[in-house]
Amino acid sequence: MIADCDKCEELLQPYLDRELTDGERQEAEAHLAGCAYCARRYRFEAELRMYVRQTAGEPMPPELKEKLANLRIGL
Amino acid sequence: MSESDPEARRIAGEARDRVRFEEDALALADQVYRVARHLVGSREEAEDLMQETYARAFRSWRSFQPGTNLRAWLLRILTNLNIDRGRRVQRTPDMQPLEAGDYYLVDRLEENGGPISAEERVDERLSQDNIVSALSNVPHDFRDVIVLVDIGDFSYQDAAQILDIPIGTVMSRLHRGRRILKKQLAEEAVT
Repeated sequence: MIADCDKCEELLQPYLDRELTDGERQEAEAHLAGCAYCARRYRFEAELRMYVRQTAGEPMPPELKEKLANLRIGL
Repeated sequence: MSESDPEARRIAGEARDRVRFEEDALALADQVYRVARHLVGSREEAEDLMQETYARAFRSWRSFQPGTNLRAWLLRILTNLNIDRGRRVQRTPDMQPLEAGDYYLVDRLEENGGPISAEERVDERLSQDNIVSALSNVPHDFRDVIVLVDIGDFSYQDAAQILDIPIGTVMSRLHRGRRILKKQLAEEAVT
């Protein structure tokens, strides 16, 4: 049903952020369990988030870590 | 000054607290850098900002309340310094790129390369360069919340405190920002 899919789209991002109430989460999960169209999109959105996080995870240069440690006052 | 001197004990206790604070802050530096790197335009700027942030954090360590979120506290200093230094160029609303729906990217990828199967991974359709380039093209106000929530793994509440904006604004910027990012990604990946 289109109306359900619209609702699911609205809930999907906060669902992925774990920011839904218990009731809303159950509503989203019930819809995802029965709708292949939204389930496919849920999977894509979840993977995209993970991919963005991994790709953007540039490690800090080791020499910067040393510079920051040298800024300490307490020792 | 004997060890039982209250003043000596106070000074020794404060020195211990300060050292512990500095160790805790340094242990979070990698995570803070991951976020900082994408709040500014270049690696050099991110490194400068990190040093300014840690210098200020070490000076004002007493204003941190133990038991609260140190990573969020450090990021709050960092974003304030970033704004103070005028490193942000605000765009007027009519210059913001148009966004598409939440499913715009997946729909465009499927239109161009066929349905994405259950086994197929997103990185088979999008390169890392696509992601980095698209993210850098998202306007600052939107990118800040994406970077804090999606890369930094902060809650909406923490992001609101770091950026000093209402939680509702975090949610709406995140919603629109992700749509802008996906539109940029579609433009990068589908020609």
